[in-house]
Amino acid sequence: MTPNFAVLGIDTPGFHWPRLWLPIFLLWVPVILLSPIILLAFVVLALVTQTNIWRVVAIFWGILCSLPGTHVHVSTQDARVLVRIL
Amino acid sequence: MNENRRQILEMLAAGNISADQAERLIAALGTERTTPVGEYAGSTAGPNGATVKTRAKYLRVLVEADESMTGNKGQTTVNVRVPMQLLRAGVRLASLIPAQAHQQLDDALSRHGVPLTLSQIKPENLEELVDHLEDLTVDVNGSEGNKTKVRVFCE
Repeated sequence: MTPNFAVLGIDTPGFHWPRLWLPIFLLWVPVILLSPIILLAFVVLALVTQTNIWRVVAIFWGILCSLPGTHVHVSTQDARVLVRIL
Repeated sequence: MNENRRQILEMLAAGNISADQAERLIAALGTERTTPVGEYAGSTAGPNGATVKTRAKYLRVLVEADESMTGNKGQTTVNVRVPMQLLRAGVRLASLIPAQAHQQLDDALSRHGVPLTLSQIKPENLEELVDHLEDLTVDVNGSEGNKTKVRVFCE
């Protein structure tokens, strides 16, 4: 399944930012609009790496679909950064 | 009632397993449920007492570093969870490296103390490598007043 939301939490010493839920699924709109350019990029990549274009597409699709579940949390005494992909 | 527990009791009622085996299986189910977050369940007892390995879903990296390591005030903690599926996909991405670049990469890796020949690594080897990561556990504790801790494990 492709990622739908990203949760972003940032706390700085001066300010406590509210946790942001970013709707990644909305990125499908620009991706569809830019699909000819993306396809062209895949074709170029396939030619450079001498690989089947469908293999290139499958690899990038695999990476995209395996992103959900990624969680990065870094905190110090004063600041905190949280990134979660759902 | 839990579905797994019901199946075990049905197997016991049908005479497929003994009472001891049923007890072990139910105990294993209980262990699986009570395994705390951050600990890799590893393996559970299956039918006939055989060990059934549970498949890890995430690679976890936990770092607790003190001031002497980071230069920041207070303790710094890093908690990273990467899906194993993402590692597999990333490994497949490595197969897109052009053959012409292999020699340069090999030289660069050798210079940094990693004597690796990329051309000899096949996709199936990389898959195997990721599979074996599931058995990986790294624990590093600082000594002599250094409270830094690093844990790498699969869960």
